[in-house]
Amino acid sequence: MSEKIYCGRGTAARGDPVSTDSETRRYPLYQLYFYLTDECNLACRHCWIAPKYQNATKATSFLPIDLFVSIIREAQPLGLMTVKLTGGEPLLHPQFAEMVDIVKREGLKLVLETNGTLMASEIAEAIASCKNTFVSVSLDGTDATTHEWVRGVPGSYDTACAGVRHLADAGLRPQVIMTVMRRNRDQIGEMVRLAEWLGAGSVKFNLLQPTSRGKQMHHSGEALEIRELIALGQWVERDLAPTTTLNLIYDHPPAFRPLSRMFGDHGDGCSVCGIFSILGVLSDGSYALCGIGESLSEMIFGHARTDRLVDIWEHTPMLGEIRGGLPEKLEGVCGRCLMKGRCLGSCLAQNYYRSGDLWEPYWFCEEAERAGIFPETRKVGRGAGAEEHLGTLVSEPPS
Amino acid sequence: MSKTIKYHVRNPDIVFREEFDDWAILFDPDTGNVFGLNPTGALAWKMLDGTTSVKEIAEAMMRLFSNVPEEAPAEIMQFIDELVERGYVGQDVTTP
Repeated sequence: MSEKIYCGRGTAARGDPVSTDSETRRYPLYQLYFYLTDECNLACRHCWIAPKYQNATKATSFLPIDLFVSIIREAQPLGLMTVKLTGGEPLLHPQFAEMVDIVKREGLKLVLETNGTLMASEIAEAIASCKNTFVSVSLDGTDATTHEWVRGVPGSYDTACAGVRHLADAGLRPQVIMTVMRRNRDQIGEMVRLAEWLGAGSVKFNLLQPTSRGKQMHHSGEALEIRELIALGQWVERDLAPTTTLNLIYDHPPAFRPLSRMFGDHGDGCSVCGIFSILGVLSDGSYALCGIGESLSEMIFGHARTDRLVDIWEHTPMLGEIRGGLPEKLEGVCGRCLMKGRCLGSCLAQNYYRSGDLWEPYWFCEEAERAGIFPETRKVGRGAGAEEHLGTLVSEPPS
Repeated sequence: MSKTIKYHVRNPDIVFREEFDDWAILFDPDTGNVFGLNPTGALAWKMLDGTTSVKEIAEAMMRLFSNVPEEAPAEIMQFIDELVERGYVGQDVTTP
């Protein structure tokens, strides 16, 4: 199934495979996600990976740098363009600065996900000197009490804010990421003001995923209900976004996003998981779908010491299943969604974590459907009513 | 013998859904293809009724939208051509 969005004067098509080789589609490996360590200097109550807490500035368990180099070397002929450094907290890696130098030397785009607490001006400048660098820093409250309630470590609010500042001073426009939950929902507007003040370029509001530690928060009522999440998303996109020059991203699936926010003159596209072109590397050198491999052993596909990357990338059965099945095999409301060719089930790792089935619908969409508030205009329906076929106005998405 | 395209008409099998912000979705149930239309595209789609000319559509846009560029008729035609190519719009062709 193909899909295209007509934007008046331009078009935006999904990232389809770039070439065809005989009868087989070939998939470039554009991006590697390096989970540099399975340790973190914060103890966030919502973390979907749940690394070991390490009250230190250096990790004791981390990806050997020789593997980092050899994996990059193996990935470049497969199409590697971008390296994401994440964790655990990636700045805990004792050779983090060398890794940044390697990424720069190889001319790769650098993406960094950090809690910001270990960011110093020198390393910020090194990061900024890489090609097209993109850095995100997590801030879960606009005051120390809230942020540190989420992050579990006193003093982490001030150091995280200082980290954003260092990045901004180095010439970057870092993204502030806030995971939305009951405790901080009233600080969303203030977070935009704080991000402006710190010199950020954008703010992303993440959903609290029901995975690992986040699962417990969903059970205990610390996560927002689906109606609250949808209403909040509408408020962010329709009311809050026009009040700032920062790009605001509310991370609900495309089915819930106004087309104008994705494809209008000031649209930000349609941020989705690039599952066809990404592979994860865990801190022990294992290859995995992504960080979900830390929780689910069946999502680990091999090891960089013993397996050739090209074999992992081209012959792992689960990757083949995903490439062959997306988006047509998606089930439930995701299978009936008009945006499925773009959304690709939002996050297959999350879907699999919940059910053990790759093709299960995304929890957010499933809950919305169950509550009767999934946008009707975004669902497949041939015979829903004659008025649809006459090309007249059908309905607004439920508010 | 030359043919003249007089008017365009929507394919009745294509599903059109207008949303709260005047953007709209075209959905082809047979292929699963989805098109998003901006407000001007949505207006043009609604006027492709087999009796309204491209010139009349452009005039309607001038009335309803501000800052419509001079090249609007050409852009509308380009838009309609793409819809025709995809089978979303048919042509009323007469032979003089």
